[in-house]
Amino acid sequence: MRTIRLLTLAAAAIVASGCAAAMNVSSHVEPGLDLSRYHTFAWGPRDALPTGDPRLDANPVFQDHMMGGVLKELSARGMTLGDARTADLLIHYHASITERIDVNRVDRGYGYCTQGDCPAETREYEAGTIVLDFIDARSGRLIWRGWAQRSIGKMLDSSDAVADTADRAVTRMLQQLPVHP
Amino acid sequence: MFTITSRTSAAVLLALAVGGCAMSAARSYVATTVPPHPNKTYAWAQGPAKATGDPRLDSNRFFEERVEAAVDDALKSRGFVKGDAPELLVKYHASVVQDVYVSGAEQSEGRSGLSVYDKGTLVIDLADAADDRLLWRGWAEDAIDGVVDDQRLMEQRIDDAVARIMKRLPTTF
Repeated sequence: MRTIRLLTLAAAAIVASGCAAAMNVSSHVEPGLDLSRYHTFAWGPRDALPTGDPRLDANPVFQDHMMGGVLKELSARGMTLGDARTADLLIHYHASITERIDVNRVDRGYGYCTQGDCPAETREYEAGTIVLDFIDARSGRLIWRGWAQRSIGKMLDSSDAVADTADRAVTRMLQQLPVHP
Repeated sequence: MFTITSRTSAAVLLALAVGGCAMSAARSYVATTVPPHPNKTYAWAQGPAKATGDPRLDSNRFFEERVEAAVDDALKSRGFVKGDAPELLVKYHASVVQDVYVSGAEQSEGRSGLSVYDKGTLVIDLADAADDRLLWRGWAEDAIDGVVDDQRLMEQRIDDAVARIMKRLPTTF
């Protein structure tokens, strides 16, 4: 019994450390935004941004967890899901993946190189960005935009990793919303 | 035809190559023949904004409106008036790419000295409203790591970049 529990904990730790890639989250907000004015929300029509990466945007696990997460958080704030034609607030999200490079400098102190010319290791990686927009339905203006960024790594290979990423991204992005007065 | 009027001096170029920080240089082009525009009236060119390369900034009206407000202020202070029968059209374009720089100081410490950073470029164009001919272009580049994520900082950096760019507009324009 005890051995199984230890192994499970170890496995969980390994999975958690592997999946928990660093996630950068921030937002832009309209000054003085008072979200308590918005009572109903709905998913808005296809946004003005260029087509998102289908590996995320068209991924049903990703969609499910993004939309589910937003529904849960906004409901907890007292908002209700309504019709796109009559809701106060329209919500869009957009996921993109871009190639980026990272430079790992090899430090002489670690004994990897002794010459003056320590080589840099550049590596390419895929960076994912999720953008979540809140639009005032009446004015059509963006009132808040949140985003979450992390390297994709092996995330797309696992539904659990995709689900976990979407959950974490939504939770952390919505933590950026202005607090009720 | 264009005349390049670059104030990027040799000292600045050296600093860029050797120093650890990416300098924020502003440059401009002015057309050799600029038609008179006695009323100094302008309007923003219509049309969708081009992609910036950074999804946080695309269709982001907090970014867009700050740039437009800063440009409006600069033009107004130079006697330009925003109006319906414009002589000039204003447009801007922002882009973000990764760039590398080599730091000489770090090389001596046994590191490779190679670093990657996010470079933002803001370009402001003034065109003849009659035929859309480009009359003047000014631009600035800046290292912007961490800037987009901090809204207040982004606003300051936009104001600063627009001011540096618009300073290069000839007083006789």
